[in-house]
Formats: sequence, structure tokens, C-alpha cells
Amino acid sequence: MSIVVVLVSLAAGAYVLAVIERWAVQGHLSLTGPAWAALALLGRESLLARKSDRLFFELGPVLLLVAGLMAVAVIPLAPGLIITDLATGALFLNAALAYVLVALIMAGWGPNGAYAMIAGWRFLGQFIAYAMLIVMPITAVAMRAESLSTVEIVASQAQLWNVLYQPMGFALFVVAAMGLAWLPPLDLPDAAGELAGGVEAEYTGVRLAVLRLARMVIILALAGATVTFYLGGWLGPWLPPWGWSAIKILAVAAAMLSVGRYMPRIREARYLALSWKLGISLALANIFVVGVIALVVPI
Amino acid sequence: MSELSQYAILFGLSVGVFGFVLSLYGFARAIGRARAEPGKDVPATAGTLSRDPVWVRYHARYAGYALLFLAFDMEMAFMYPWAVVYREEGLIALLDMGVFLSILFLGLLYGWSQGALRRQ
Repeated sequence: MSIVVVLVSLAAGAYVLAVIERWAVQGHLSLTGPAWAALALLGRESLLARKSDRLFFELGPVLLLVAGLMAVAVIPLAPGLIITDLATGALFLNAALAYVLVALIMAGWGPNGAYAMIAGWRFLGQFIAYAMLIVMPITAVAMRAESLSTVEIVASQAQLWNVLYQPMGFALFVVAAMGLAWLPPLDLPDAAGELAGGVEAEYTGVRLAVLRLARMVIILALAGATVTFYLGGWLGPWLPPWGWSAIKILAVAAAMLSVGRYMPRIREARYLALSWKLGISLALANIFVVGVIALVVPI
Repeated sequence: MSELSQYAILFGLSVGVFGFVLSLYGFARAIGRARAEPGKDVPATAGTLSRDPVWVRYHARYAGYALLFLAFDMEMAFMYPWAVVYREEGLIALLDMGVFLSILFLGLLYGWSQGALRRQ
């Protein structure tokens, strides 16, 4: 039962997110826009590039969608409203999102086009920059909750949300999440105006529709992960738990989508240097500080 | 719910995604098909096939980072079980992991001093 509810809310969330993205990126609020755009994509020709690696080309977007859905599966929307409450939920989320890299490299390699290929390998560089900064802040969250189960991580924040308990980890995680979802200013793999669409360059029609849907699901999964790990998940006064989850997840996703309007794109070399010199040092310091607090303060 | 049935659900969802995508492709195909026209299947390189092959060796200029990444990623595999029992074990756990992390951090500093944290 909860599976159906989560899947329906995922579909609704993806639609609302598409509306918000249009609003944030193009400054144009249209409630029916994404529906027409999706229908138009389904009606268009879906071409297969010459001499392409058909298997990689076809599997890339589907694998991306599977990875996003697996990540969503361990995110609780309310008590009991979760697809699978795995005991290793936080670790499973990492494992699922690691396939985003694989899927994008497949999508970049597959069509045998120069721009897509460069974009795919670029994302590998971006992966090396963001990957540790996803994993390390989650460690500090698990230290406080004494569990990797996402439900227990939310329950552990009943007295104080993690965003106040470990603000440094929150900042690092959000930036790394934006890198993972290749959102501007960290949108190297599709780099609008620079790589002719990058990994999206050779995808047309229904295949592009699947790719775009998968990306929406991944953005929702990451916003959900941010809310679960740092913003107290479903916790909040007055409103029902699912209401709080919906508001928080959409607000985080909207914030992530709008940052790109105000910042120039960051080069891969600079992103790598920043992540490893500043980011990893801060993440290690965050683990140490949380370790000391967790021993001294009982909450 | 037992662990096994949870993983069965996840597996079922993954298979379901393939079904969903296939049905989308079927729907798109029912609306219309791609018309075969010359030059249409050329990848986006100014309308002609690129002179050089695309699948060539790509110079991974982030090789130094990549090697450090391997070391750090292995370390995270140890961190997760440690994080779960951290509060039970108390100060001992903090000291244990403190030694481990400081050695690792020294490794990062050493790599930095040797120019690993640079686009080569």
C-alpha cells in the first residue's frame, strides 16, 4: 500500500518539480507546461546515432531512473510511509546513487558523439569531487542516530534538527548533492551553451523524456535525502507528517534549482581542488566535532 | 517485513522501471515513427561525421585525485559500522578512529605537497 502512495507522490513531486524548474530557470510559471512538453517529446522522433553502442545508449537513461527510484525507496515521507525501511538505508542510498555515474558514462559513451563523450568523462571528474562529500557527512549523521536506518535517523532529530547540530555537514552535503544531480553551477555533464547539451546531446524524443524524468527523480531523491538527514524529515508542528515532508522536500529542491541563476558555472579543475582541499578537510573536522558533541551531550 | 522480502520489493521495482520505460516506448511508437533521412543519424558535430574517431583514449587529468579517492573510499567502508556503534563504545572509538583519520589526513597532506591535488 505504502509503495503505491510513495510512487504516486513521486510522480506528483516530479511534475511539481518540473513546474518549479521552468519557473526558476526561465522565470515563467506555467502549470500545464511540463505536461505539454512531455507529450511533445513523446511525439517527436527518437533517433539512434550512427555507429552507436546501442546497449549503452539504451540502458543509460533506464539505469538512471532505476538508480533514482532505488534512492527514493529508502526515504521516509511519514512514519510507516516508506517503500523499504532497510536497516542499512543510508548506505543503500549511497550505493544506489553511485549508479548515477555509471549511467551517465554509459549515456555519454553510447552515442559515439564527441560532445556526449566529453561530457560523460567530465562527470567522472565531477564524481571524484563530490563523492566523498556525500559519504562523509552521512557518517556524522549516523554517529548521532546510532543507526543507518533512515527512519531512525529522522527519529533521532526529534529534539534538535541536524542542520543545527552539524551545520557544516549540512552545507557540504547540499553542495555535493547539487554536484551529484548535475545542477547548475555544477552542471558540467550537460553544460548548456558549451557542449551542445553534453550527455543529452544525442537523445531525442521518448529517450530524452526518460532521461529528463530520471533526472527529476534524482533531484527529488537528493532533496529527500537532505530533508531526512538534516531537516528533521517529517517532524514539525500542526501539519500532518506527510505535509511537512512534502513542503520541506519541494522547498529544498526549489532552492537547489534556483542557485544556478545567481552563480557562474564552476570548472571541473576548480571544483576538484575546492572539494579536496577545503571540502574534505571540513568534512573530517565535522566528523570529529560531531564525535565530541555526541559523547558530551546526550541528545 | 523481513530483509529478504524488502530486497525482493526493490528488485521488483527495478524490473517495473524497465516495464514502464518499455510501455512509454511503445506509446511513442504508436504515435509516430522516425523517418529515415540521410544525415539525420550523425551525432551533433556540425552536421558531418567527425574527422577523428570519438572512442579514443581520454586523458584523465584528475588521475591524482582519483588515486586518493580510492584510498578515501575504502576508508569509508570502515567508517559506517564504526559510526553505528560509536556512542556505545564512547571515548575509545573516538581515539581509535582519530588515529586512523589523522594518518589518512596526513596522507592527503602528503599527496597535496607532492602535487596530486592538481589538474595534470
